[in-house]
Amino acid sequence: MTEAVESGAASSAAPRAAVSDLAQFRTVTVSQLTNYLRTYRFLGLLGFVALISVLTIAFELHAGVTATRIAQLNRSSEYLSNFLAYAGLWIVISAAFFGGDALSVDFSTGAGYYMLVLPIKRSVLLAGRYAAATVVTLAIVAMYYLFGLGGAIYFFGGGTIDWTNLGLSLAIAVLFTLSALGVAFCISAVFRSPSSGVLVTILVLYVGLTTLQGVLELANVEPWMSLTYGGGAMAAVLDTDFLHYQTVPLGEDQFYTIWSASVSEGVAIMAAYAAVFLPLSTFLYYRKESTG
Amino acid sequence: MSDVTVEALHLSKSFGHGPPALDDVSFELSGTGAIGYLGPNGAGKTTTLKLLVGLLRPTRGEVRINGHSPTADRKRALWEIGALVETPEPYPMLTVYDALATVGLARGLRRESVDAEIDRCHRALELPPFGRRVGALSKGQRQRVSLAAALMADPKVLLLDEPTSGLDPAERVLVRRLLVELKRDHLVLMSSHQMFEVGDICDELMFLDRGRLLVRDRVDRIAERVQNREVDVEFSEPVDAARMEPIRQLGATLRPLSDRRWRIAFAGVDGGRPGVLVACQRVAPVVQFANTFLVVEEAYLELIGRST
Repeated sequence: MTEAVESGAASSAAPRAAVSDLAQFRTVTVSQLTNYLRTYRFLGLLGFVALISVLTIAFELHAGVTATRIAQLNRSSEYLSNFLAYAGLWIVISAAFFGGDALSVDFSTGAGYYMLVLPIKRSVLLAGRYAAATVVTLAIVAMYYLFGLGGAIYFFGGGTIDWTNLGLSLAIAVLFTLSALGVAFCISAVFRSPSSGVLVTILVLYVGLTTLQGVLELANVEPWMSLTYGGGAMAAVLDTDFLHYQTVPLGEDQFYTIWSASVSEGVAIMAAYAAVFLPLSTFLYYRKESTG
Repeated sequence: MSDVTVEALHLSKSFGHGPPALDDVSFELSGTGAIGYLGPNGAGKTTTLKLLVGLLRPTRGEVRINGHSPTADRKRALWEIGALVETPEPYPMLTVYDALATVGLARGLRRESVDAEIDRCHRALELPPFGRRVGALSKGQRQRVSLAAALMADPKVLLLDEPTSGLDPAERVLVRRLLVELKRDHLVLMSSHQMFEVGDICDELMFLDRGRLLVRDRVDRIAERVQNREVDVEFSEPVDAARMEPIRQLGATLRPLSDRRWRIAFAGVDGGRPGVLVACQRVAPVVQFANTFLVVEEAYLELIGRST
């Protein structure tokens, strides 16, 4: 190591200009995305979802083409609807992995001392991270959709695919991703520990809301306040025998109701979640201090 | 030349119900030069720096950087601020280049200027290989990358919290020399526990204890205040006790540090220092005659001791 500072190295002559929030948003997004794409978390989740998809199709191949067709009522849309019923789970896990610690990392590790001292608005930082988390989550979801589409084409033929509703399902998946990440970011803004944020996001979005949905259905109440209920529209849009609700008898004068969100209802629920939780995340992030 | 003004106005910060971490601290920084921010652990140095960059909100008072609040208007307030607070950690999966480019672009550098700017930081700080991931760097390498991030795009004000912490001796020298060069046309506020380093770099000192600002003054005035009466002298050749006898006769107490170096505690006030130097030069050629380390350290001990 040399001891002298080279002449001119201490001061810069590089031109510097005012930078817009949009340009900073792009910088933050690219930086965060670059980091995400290299993490074992992303590669592991991508590999896991691919493995589950391959195993699912392998079991169907083992059962045989005819048996799979019969099981899916001879309809590619039924096949896709059943296959994509798990897309919500992958979105929830991915949202927890990439959103559950997106903000808490600034207050529990030294990342905040690197990024929060820059002349960037916290809302811009949050937006950039949110965009990056959306991209990686959608990459995983898109791969799952491709596996589902591949299976549907193999078992039922390319001509049977209902492209319109498949596209609609994908659009709903994007909205579900945005709203699930909104919840995850909000949880991340509350918790200080990154692992707590990830765990609580999974508990809230998957265990908590699914349990709430089950309890409400037993009480014959439509679980319209549950995000995961609204996310069911991803698969429901491909179900040609879609029913908004079905009553199941439990005994004499007793029954419970199984509800399924329609597309419009699902979109409204997801939009409401995003509209509430994203501003709340921003507010909490602005208020948070680096006290550690 | 820095035209940035950093103002702390009656700044207080409390955490919970305990005594305030910072209690009614006010100062104004402007122009160029280096200011040492000194105090024992828990005095409130890092809290002050966090308040200055908006990582904390003051309980009372406010921070203004060129009139802008770093919490309410952080983009404008921090535009000319490069900060190294606590132990920054860039995202571990980013390369050194990615981590610095992110900062450069966020600070308004054009894409084509980023490489030149990273190269400048590399020349100043001998950064690790640009393609290496941050997560794979040693503590000292990460500290140098974080310091480079504070320098990216050449902000006029540098707020540095123990900038040489975690560095090896060679790296410390490198950073020290860089800061000496930077203070010519930048404003540097640095906290440190390395008194020699502070004495070497800073023109002005601020002493903080238990959240209160005790003293702010120029190093030479603080030297007068503590009436330092010890100097270390280094001769160009070995000098034994017999040759030092004329200095002893001045009333000084001598302690050999090596065959060429002596520590001289002289009688009288600070004004006796020139007489000691003249006497030493009669003994043998003097290579070094230094007391800065002792001034800062003694001032620190005297002020902090006085306040406890």
